[in-house]
Formats: sequence, structure tokens, C-alpha cells
Amino acid sequence: MALVSADSQIAEYLTELHQLIKQTQEERSRSEHNLLNIQKTHERMQTENKTSPYYRTKLRGLYTTAKADAEAECSILRHALQKIADIKKLLEERRIAAKMAGVYSDSDPPRKTMRRGVLMTLLQQSAMTLPLWIGKPGDSPPPLCGAIPASSDYVAKPGDKVAARVKAMDGDEQWILAEVVSYNHSTNKYEVDDIDEEGKERHTLSRRRIIPLPQWKANPETDPEALFSKDHLVLALYPQTTCFYRALIHTPPQRPQDDYSVLFEDTSYADGYSPPLNVAQRYVVACKENKKK
Amino acid sequence: MAEPAPQASVPSRHATTPSCGTAGSGSGSSDPARPGLSQQQRASQKKAQVRAFPRAKKLEKLGVFSACKAGDSCKCNGWKNPHSLTGTRLELQQQAADLSEQCRSCCHPLADHVSHLENVSEEEINRLLGMVVDVENLFMSVHKEEDTDTKQVYFYLFKLLRKCILQMTRPVVEGSLGSPPFERPNIEQGVMNFVQYKFSHLPPKERQTMVELSKMFLLCLNYWKLETPSQFRQRSQKDDGTTYKVDYTRWLCYCHVPQCNDSLPRYETTQVFGRGFLKSIFTVTRRQLLEKFRVEKDKLLPEKRTLILTHFPKFLSMLEEEIYGENSPIWDVDFTMPASEGGQIGHQTVISPAAGSNTPSFPKNVGGGSSLGPSSMDSVVPEPSPGDKRKLPENLEDAKRIRVMGDIPMELVNEVMMTITDPAAMLGPETSLLSANAARDETARLEERRGIIEFHVIGNSLSQKSNKKILMWLVGLQNVFSHQLPRMPKEYITRLVFDPKHKTLALIKDGRVIGGICFRMFPTQGFTEIVFCAVTSNEQVKGYGTHLMNHLKEYHIKHGILYFLTYADEYAIGYFKKQGFSKDIKVPKSRYVGYIKDYEGATLMECELNPRIPYTELSHIIKKQKEIIKKLIERKQSQIRKVYPGLTCFKEGVRQIPVESIPGIKETGWKPSGKEKGKELKDPELLYHILKNILAQIKVSSKYIHTHTHTKHTFTHPDAWPFMEPVKKSEAPDYYEIIRFPIDLKTMTERLKNRYYVTKKLFIADLQRIITNCREYNPPDSEYCKCANTLEKFFYFKLKESGLIDK
Repeated sequence: MALVSADSQIAEYLTELHQLIKQTQEERSRSEHNLLNIQKTHERMQTENKTSPYYRTKLRGLYTTAKADAEAECSILRHALQKIADIKKLLEERRIAAKMAGVYSDSDPPRKTMRRGVLMTLLQQSAMTLPLWIGKPGDSPPPLCGAIPASSDYVAKPGDKVAARVKAMDGDEQWILAEVVSYNHSTNKYEVDDIDEEGKERHTLSRRRIIPLPQWKANPETDPEALFSKDHLVLALYPQTTCFYRALIHTPPQRPQDDYSVLFEDTSYADGYSPPLNVAQRYVVACKENKKK
Repeated sequence: MAEPAPQASVPSRHATTPSCGTAGSGSGSSDPARPGLSQQQRASQKKAQVRAFPRAKKLEKLGVFSACKAGDSCKCNGWKNPHSLTGTRLELQQQAADLSEQCRSCCHPLADHVSHLENVSEEEINRLLGMVVDVENLFMSVHKEEDTDTKQVYFYLFKLLRKCILQMTRPVVEGSLGSPPFERPNIEQGVMNFVQYKFSHLPPKERQTMVELSKMFLLCLNYWKLETPSQFRQRSQKDDGTTYKVDYTRWLCYCHVPQCNDSLPRYETTQVFGRGFLKSIFTVTRRQLLEKFRVEKDKLLPEKRTLILTHFPKFLSMLEEEIYGENSPIWDVDFTMPASEGGQIGHQTVISPAAGSNTPSFPKNVGGGSSLGPSSMDSVVPEPSPGDKRKLPENLEDAKRIRVMGDIPMELVNEVMMTITDPAAMLGPETSLLSANAARDETARLEERRGIIEFHVIGNSLSQKSNKKILMWLVGLQNVFSHQLPRMPKEYITRLVFDPKHKTLALIKDGRVIGGICFRMFPTQGFTEIVFCAVTSNEQVKGYGTHLMNHLKEYHIKHGILYFLTYADEYAIGYFKKQGFSKDIKVPKSRYVGYIKDYEGATLMECELNPRIPYTELSHIIKKQKEIIKKLIERKQSQIRKVYPGLTCFKEGVRQIPVESIPGIKETGWKPSGKEKGKELKDPELLYHILKNILAQIKVSSKYIHTHTHTKHTFTHPDAWPFMEPVKKSEAPDYYEIIRFPIDLKTMTERLKNRYYVTKKLFIADLQRIITNCREYNPPDSEYCKCANTLEKFFYFKLKESGLIDK
């Protein structure tokens, strides 16, 4: 039943979103007149070549209106973005609920797994649709935006994607892409699922073995400080895998939709690094251990 | 085969390919690149003008090129007008010179120069005059030409024509050039063979597309200006260009110059030259052609634009493979389609994906009268031009189609086809993100169609000089293989990749190698060895591996080899299984031992190819077929009211059930095929009791077998009888990765209770699966397998005893 109501909720949100987009357009056309007025006033002032108190008062009034218009438009746009976030959240909740319901036990053999290629496509899609952080003037990007780490007391929510350091079969430590199942406040331990369902592994890991992935993309044009800079040591998801490896930033993204270009540590290459490969902002996190293995 | 186009029709046909001939890399300023009249048109205009002169003026003009006959002593070989400085401006004079006017050089009158023409027919005079115009044009060409090689040839032809006017003979190019045709089969035959060879499995409409493209390509070649020998030498530094120079000279004398110089006999480039010549010009011509089309794409007709921009690059790439490939059959003088493809039934019963909305339609002037469209306009389309191969009438194809008794009527299938290919019913543009149930190779196929990735079979050669690009790709392949197969010594990889007997199917993206399959064909042994197979790590899991193997399969079907053998290491077994390989080897040992490279610790796997399957399109075809069946089911459903809950056994892991056991199936009019009747027990209750009995006995005896074996050997878990209950993940962590359809006696008991075993077949299948699962997961000499052997014997004994199977 919960699923049905989620469906209707989503439909409702979509209608609201549609309304909001229409309102944006209305708002835009409404403010156009005022902007034209400002332009004309400037032109007139130029031709008359003087700034009389009259014009000064007039312009001040016009600019105040323009600012209010812009803020109104901006707030509708933010509202729309929030709606998109709400829809995504509902979808995510539904996914987690479905996952919980379909949880398997030892005696119940697992169902057929997702084809790897499909999983990779989903991961790329998730990176592509990660929202871009758009702050208000003067706002600095929050934690988990781009390269900015989570605060020390941050607890990742169930369903959040994280980089998790696990012990592999052969005893080696490895950073894998995982999804948070739960957090135990008394033991301070996370329970996470390997994202790669082929693994079928649930791990219980201490906090320090978990790095939450960014929840917003940082905009290189407005918040370049929220991006890793060239030669920074990071953990990046190797393309077409679900494992994070140490890498150096080769070039940070130039535009919001760009990926990082990184050089993975790879001993099979003469200089110890792979050729530059692209990795989305979503899958690049700071590397804590600075010493080389 | 198209016949040489009549001269008169050339300009109009030429007009359909606006770009040909003008994009030459040539340095020749005499090239018809100027806007307005082509050189050819100007020449014929001038000829007409000259031929309309009064006879006196004609004689004067010929006199210029005629030797003086005044006694035997005069050596003057042409009358020179005393009033003009250059003979070439003669026609500017309005007045014809008088026969008595004296030659500027020998002082004999004009009459002495033209005396031999007195009794010559007007026709012959006009022929000679044509040569005069051509000589004059050649004279200009010699002057303007900057390339020495070309200039030399022009000068030779100039002299040749002068001599012919002098002697009133017909020009024959002499010397070591030989006479056309220079190669057999010619380019035209080769390209036609190529179309037949590569595309004959396509539906008629698409096949027609390819025929159009091949015609366009040939037409372009006939009018293309080639690079000069010196340009050729610069480009291919290793080749000294001697052969090319000979071909170039031949081309100038027999094809290019005669185009606007009709005194010389003219031959079409594509009819007198063959593969060797095409090899030397293809790379450059292809680049120029595509560049030309790209630049001029706005000038093309819209429907033609799609054709050229979407299909032509691919067409050329495929052709390139056949031109430079070592074993291409299209150049055999007696090329015929391999029997397996020519008599193909497969292509009529399978549906090709591109058929339908995305096949471009053709402008009539190219289509050559094959009127496919239903519009009334088509009735006024002129007769096909002579040379155009007409396509088989549709009904003839229908006649070849094999009909199955009780098959769905064709009209219904066509109707359904219409609905699933209806663009309006589609969900929107193709996206880069595919649905969860898309075929493994779907993305790769799309990328290939969009030109993002390319596939080429390449190899090193010791006899021929390899193209630089091919060598770069071979190095790229060597790098990919050595990175992805770290356990193979790099030297070993290098040796095999560059070995001329090995070839590699290379996967190219952005001009770089990102994967490939190295293989060695053993045609005498009837198999091919897969040597290395890899995709670079950051491009994996995109379906490239599957698409590579499918291309390799199609390549081998074309070359008549239908078996692949390979030694797969432990990580590769999974991949090869997905590609249709099996550990079950059908090729007799004697045929491969001593040929294939043996690897220690690797598993020999084999794949048998079916020449009727178009592998690269297979998953697409199956998807379409599924859609059709779904639609047909929907139709049927709307006719029959009753709704059954549907089957659940497939979800439980059963692979196959007898059709008759599906509830409601009989009501639809389905009848079992005659053979298997009578064996099945009619009474479901009776069957239930027999099965229950057998199962109980097996369970009891299993315990007995268990304790029995236990006395001699020790199990790691003494209480865990292997087949009684589902295998626990805690005991065998990877069990469910390896075993897709687990089954055990407990589950079988539950299924029996749920009345799932409606036939004995289902029951026997589950029992057998217990045994095969066990053998798949455990080593053959393990205790588990020994148990399985005992159990198998026991239950077959019980089945026979109860009369469920024959003794």
C-alpha cells in the first residue's frame, strides 16, 4: 500500500513541478518590463549626459524592483529544485523499502543478479544526475559538496553510497563502493552492502572505514575551492568497476557537468600511473592515508 | 555488372554525384575544377564550333598540323601562318587563309600542306579536327601542368595525337603500358562481389541501399582525380612508387585524359583496374571522398544525405577490410557466394533490425528505377538505365520462403510487424541509458552504428609492406593484451600479435585500440584458435567483448571455418561460456593436436558456429521475435476470455516444462506433436503416488548410501548429507554463483506436495539436476561426486522399476 501512495505522491509532485516551471516563465516575463525600463533610463541618462537626482531616485526604485523580481524567480527555481530532490528521495525510499522486503536469508537462495553492464550504467546515471550545489550569494559550499568532507560527527543515512574499506577474500584491504544499511550508535559501526550484488556481502565496519560520497557536485565556475586541485591524492572509482583506488588528480572539472581526469596508481605502467581516465565528481573522495603502500 | 555508361548519359549521371572529380588532390590546373563549363563540355563545344567552319578554314586549321608535301625535300611538319605568331590563336581570325599563302617557316603555300586532304570525306576531316582541338587542349595542359610525371604523359599524348593527324591514323598508346584491362577481376566486379558477399543476407530494401552505395562509389572512382606519383611516394615512404607510376600513367592515358579528349579511346577506371590499383589509391581517395561529402553535405539532397553520412563511412570501412585483407574472396575471378550463405534460408525467417523506419529512401536518379515506393509518382519513373541490376520481384522471394504447417498467416505477422516498427508507437529517441533487460551487446551495437567504435581484422605481413596505421594498431593491441593478461610474457604476446600467420580483430575507439581478439586460422584443419582476447580495463562491461566475438564469428562464417577452439584460463571460462563456448569438444583430437598452442592449467573450450545466424544482430533479432510473439499472444488473449494465474515454475529455477502442462493451453487449440503420445500416464493421481513412492525410497536409501560411504571415508561435515537440503551459503560461499538452478530432495518433496510434477519429465529433470549440479560444483573424484554416482544408479533403477522409463 505504501508503494501505491508513493506513486500518487510522485505524480502530485510532478504536477507541482510542472506548475513551478510555468510560474518561472511568468515571473521572467513579468520582470522583463522593468529590466527594459532600466536599460532605457540608462540610455536617456547617457544622451542627456547628466545624472540628475530625479534619475537617481528613479533608478534606485527600478533596481530595487528588479532585485525583488530576481529573488522571486530564484526562489521559485529553488522550490522547483527542491521538488526534484523530493521526488528523488521518494524514489530512493521506495527502492530501499523494496530491497528490505526482498532481503534474502541463508536458506533462501538469492535471485538472479543484475547484469554487470546494467549496474555500471546505473552508476554512471547516478553520477550524472547528482545535483549541482547552487548556493545563495555569500554561501559557502556545505560538507559533502564536491571535495568538502563530511563533518566528523556525520552519520550516513541508510541508502547512502559510501566508499567502504573491506577485507577481501585474499586478506587484502580494498575500498569498495557500498550502500549503507544501518548505523549502530552504541557500537559506532556501520552495516553496509557491497553495491556489486555479485558480491552478496554485508559488512559490519567501524566509522573510520567509511567515507561518505559527495551529495552535490561542486560548480567549478562558482565554487572552485570545493574541488580537488591538480596532483591531489584521492580515492577514485576505477571506470567500469565498483572499487576505489588511489589516484592523483590530473585535471579538475572545468564545467559543472565535467568529470575529473585522474591518474590511477598502477604499477603495470612504467611511471607507476595509468594514462588519464575520467571519473565523475560523485566517485572521487579524499584519500586519508598519505603514505604510499 | 553495369555496362560502360554511354558517353551521352555521363554528364547527367555525373550530376547526381556533384562532388566527384573535383576534389582531386591533383596539382593539375587543367583540372575541371573551375565553375561553369567542365573541361569536357568546353572541349566538345569547341569541336562543334570548329566543325561548323567553312571547308577552307578547316583546311587551314589542319594545315597547321600537316607536313609540307612540296617535293621530298621539305621537312616542314606544319603550316605556320605568316600573320600570326602562334598557331593556337588561329581560330580568332575571321577570315580563312588563302591556299596560296606561304608558310612562315618553309615558304611553301598552304596548298602544299593540305594537298593530301583534297579527297578526304567531311567525316574524316571532322575527326581530324577533333584531334586538332584535343591537341591544342593538351598543349595548354602541358604548359600549365606543374607535376613532372603528369606533364610528361600529357606531352607524350600531345605528340601522339599530332602524329595521328599527320598520318591520318587513329591514336594507339604504345610502349610498355600494356592494353586494358590491366587487372582481373576489375574493381567493379570486386565491389559488386563485395556487396553480394557482405550484404546478401539483408532484407531487399537494405540490400538495395548497399547496391546504391556501391554504384555511387564506383561512379566517384571513375571521375576521381588521383594523386600524382610524387605525392604517392611522399605518403608511402616505403613504397618507391614504380608500380603506382605505371598505373597512374595508364590511368591518365586510358581513363582521365580521354574524359575530355574524345580522340583517345576511353575506358572506365573501375573496369580496367583491379585490386592492386585500388589498394594504392583507396586510403587517400576514401579520406578525400568523406571529407568532400562532409564539406558539401548541405548541397546534397536530404534523403541522400542520410544515406551518405550514415552508411557510407561504414560501407567504406568494410570495403577497406576486403581490399587490404589477405584472404578476401571477393577478388577471386570466379567468385560465387559460399553455399552456406547463398542458399540461406535464415535470412528470410529472421527479421533484421534496421528494416523499416530507419532505412533511407533514395532519390530516383540514383535508385535506377527500382521503384519500391507505393506513391503514384513512381509510375512515371523512366526505365532502369541499361546496366542497372534489377532486383528480384518480391513475390519470387516469397516463393522461396519455407512455410510451416499451421504457421501464423503472413498477413497477421506483417500486421504485427507494422505495429512494433511503427515510429509513433516508439517511446522516444534512443538514449544512452538502456533498460535493465537490454541485451549484453546492445550498447556496443549502437555505438558501432553511430561510428563511435569500429572493428577491423588486421595482421602483420612479411611479403607486403604494412600500412603505418595497421602497425600502430598492432602495437596498441600488444599493449592492451599485455596489460590485461599480465601472466602472459610480453615477448610472447608481441611474437604472436606480429606473427603474419596470426590475425587480430581490433576494436577501435577514437582511433585507439581498446580491445581485440588475436586468432590463428587453420583452414586445412577446419578450426580457428582463439589466442588472446581482451578489452582494456576502463572500457569493460560495456558489451564490447560480446560484440567482438560476434564479429569474429561472422568473419569466420564468411571464410568457411565453423569451429573455434581456445584454451581458457580460469577467469576466461565465464566469458567464453557466455559466448557459446563449451568444454564439450566436438572437433576430433587428431585435427587440432599439434596445431593449437597448449597451455598448462587452462581448459580447452570449443564453439561451433551456425552459418545461418547473423551473430552481430542475433540478440536484436531475438528481441524482435519476442516482441512479435508477445503481440501475437496479446491478440490471442483478446479472443479467449479465461485468465489463468500464470506459471511460477520458471522463477523457481525450472528450465523447461512440457507444453501440455501449461494450464489452459489445450483450450487454445494446441495439440502435442504426434510422437510422444501414449507414454504419459493419464491419471495425475497415479503419477503422484508413484513419484511420491520413488522419492521416499531415494531419501531412505540416500541415508544408507551416506552411512555406507561414511564408514570408509570421512566427510568434513558428517551430518550434512549433500542432497537432502539446500546447500548452505555458509558452507559453500560461492555455490550460488556457480550453480544457477539449485535443487535438493527437500525442495523436490515440497514441489511434489504442491502438485508441481504434472509429468514424469519434470520429476526426472529435477532428479537429474541434483546429479549434474553436484558434478559441476565438486571435483570428479570427490566424495560428493561418488555419492552422486551411486544415487544416480539407484534412482534410474527405481524409475525403471516403476515403469516410468524404458528398461
